[in-house]
Amino acid sequence: MQLLLVEDDLEIQTFLRNALTEAGYYVDAAADAKTAERMAMESRHDALIVDLGLPDQDGMVLIVRLRQMGVNAPVMILSARRTVDDRVLGLEQGGDDYLTKPFALAELMARLRNLLKRNVPAAEATRLRVLDLELDLLRREAMRGERVLNLTPQEFTLLEYLCRNPGRVVTRSMILDKVWGMRIQPATNVVDVHIYRLRGKVDAEGLPPLIRTLRGVGYVLRDR
Amino acid sequence: MSSATGRRVHSAAWRISLWGTVAFACGTLIIFWSLHAFVAKDIQRRTDAWISGEVETLSDVAERTPKNALYGRVVGEVAELASREVPNREPGTAGRNDSVFFLQTAKDGSPVLWAGEGNGTAYLNAIRGVNAKPDTPFDLHVDGAKRPYRVAEVVIPDGSRIYLGLSERDELRMLHQLREHFMKLWALCVLLGFAIIFYTTRRMLGDVRRISEVAAHIGESDLSRRVPTSGWNDEIAQLSSTLNRMLERIEQSVHQLHTITNSLAHDLRSPLTAIRARLEIVLTRDVKEQDAESIERAINEIDRLTEILNQSLDVAEAQAHALRVEPERVDLEQLLDGMIELYRPCMSEKGLRLEFSAGQPVEVMADAGLVHRMIANLLDNEMKHLPPARTVSIALRAAGEFAEIVVEDDGPGFSPELEGQLFRPGVKGSASRGYGLGLAFVQAVAGAHGGAIRAENREGGGARLTVQLPLVAHAAASTEASAGVVSAD
Repeated sequence: MQLLLVEDDLEIQTFLRNALTEAGYYVDAAADAKTAERMAMESRHDALIVDLGLPDQDGMVLIVRLRQMGVNAPVMILSARRTVDDRVLGLEQGGDDYLTKPFALAELMARLRNLLKRNVPAAEATRLRVLDLELDLLRREAMRGERVLNLTPQEFTLLEYLCRNPGRVVTRSMILDKVWGMRIQPATNVVDVHIYRLRGKVDAEGLPPLIRTLRGVGYVLRDR
Repeated sequence: MSSATGRRVHSAAWRISLWGTVAFACGTLIIFWSLHAFVAKDIQRRTDAWISGEVETLSDVAERTPKNALYGRVVGEVAELASREVPNREPGTAGRNDSVFFLQTAKDGSPVLWAGEGNGTAYLNAIRGVNAKPDTPFDLHVDGAKRPYRVAEVVIPDGSRIYLGLSERDELRMLHQLREHFMKLWALCVLLGFAIIFYTTRRMLGDVRRISEVAAHIGESDLSRRVPTSGWNDEIAQLSSTLNRMLERIEQSVHQLHTITNSLAHDLRSPLTAIRARLEIVLTRDVKEQDAESIERAINEIDRLTEILNQSLDVAEAQAHALRVEPERVDLEQLLDGMIELYRPCMSEKGLRLEFSAGQPVEVMADAGLVHRMIANLLDNEMKHLPPARTVSIALRAAGEFAEIVVEDDGPGFSPELEGQLFRPGVKGSASRGYGLGLAFVQAVAGAHGGAIRAENREGGGARLTVQLPLVAHAAASTEASAGVVSAD
């Protein structure tokens, strides 16, 4: 997988490049729109990570130009603006995503994976299976091994989200966004309590735990 | 509010004019009263001089005229002539002889000669009743006569007495006329004075009212407005220009502050991102459990810092009326259901019960994202401040043109020290660990939607927060203005 990273802050650019390389991506990095344009022409990228505040051009203008030039890879937008730009929201509906600074690296990774996966339309599954955990999406029923889990509808939705991202880190704000449909940052541990309760039902005593907490980052559903 | 100000100014103008007029009226009355007394005294002095002179003449005539049959006629003629020279005489009554009388009594007091109206018995009786000092004119009240008489008395050597009386009618009539004229002019002057004072004070206070209206508006929204200045260079114009100069300085400082905080907040994001990512990278490598814990704490602190940064910028932006509001139809019951479902487990973990009651469906025109954050703030607030084993109840209802979200608890309530400043950024209870931004943000969001927030302590103990958002049917007008505002970002 080849990525194009456009970020003018060299410090952020360096560690993002390192982190992404470590995660197994090939990264082209540009510090301004002009270089980014040239790089996009030179080789094909699977995804773009673009910071909006570029020294020579607005990031949005760059994205629009690249689109006009035939680059149709999904874009992950990084923004230092707090309020989400309408234009970004419009793009998001078209399959792209955005993150506001400061962001969790794990969240960037998780969203990036979603972005790359989205590009490959998967057949709509009716059953999800992760190790010995099985979800029947039609009957809204979850089973761990032979045991049916007694979940509330909300807990089922939460577990479904985790099962759709097995082995990947999901952050609290991702859970709030995708499961509850809210972009809020609660000052209290509301999400954690939901996870604890779900874990109590999924990881019953004696079974190897599936839901893992990555402290300071988020949660992972084990897939191996 | 303006009508209340209007009433106040109105009554102030009234009060000033009323007291001014009363002072003016009293002053002129006192002046007139002393003038009147002086005139009355002077008229009496002239009258006295005249009758004293006449009575002397009459006594001369009476003394010299032989006491024969003609005596009565001679003296009577003289008296008659004298009465024609009466001072202050009312024109048109010349022919009548009721203003003067002449009476001569014998030594024993019996009447000898009478010239005047009637037969003089009533006059004689009246004179007998008076104990007058000789040679000094006195007032005589006669039965049947409307006005008193001024009477001078003279004793002639043969022991008989001569009385000459002059009715005070003309004198009193003149004084009466004087008073009448004065009262008319006085009333006119007082009315005119009142009108002038009222007009000027109202104009002046009108200027003051306009200044205060503008000043109040400045406090609520923009600092770019200026108070009106009149062309005069009086105290009020000076007040206006002083206020304007002050506003100029405030606007400049606020503008500077905005620029500084905005760029500061934006500039802080990149380093925060870098720090957070570095810590995360370290965390994913193999580190000792002990180190991992410190790193996690550091990440949490960074997240908290980011939260403060975002929220204070949100509050500042909302209070500057620059909050981006994208209104849509929102079913509040559904929205609250979702929020309560999210918060209930966490609250029950802390021993708090969360109840929700809603009546009919309530739809508002609101930015769902902002309302989510607003409710989250309210619930976070409850969780931070309530001791365990308490109940938070949320009620949703329509009241007039507003939807009301009422959040009540049975905790300790708001401390009195926070009275009236709960919604100011940075204001928080002494035991609070928050940053005092939550309620300020809630108020700012409610305000941006054309709604409001109210905080009070319940009668039985506990706090009550009421958030009002305009219902769909009423929202169009109030959110129009806010929706048009685009962030200056």
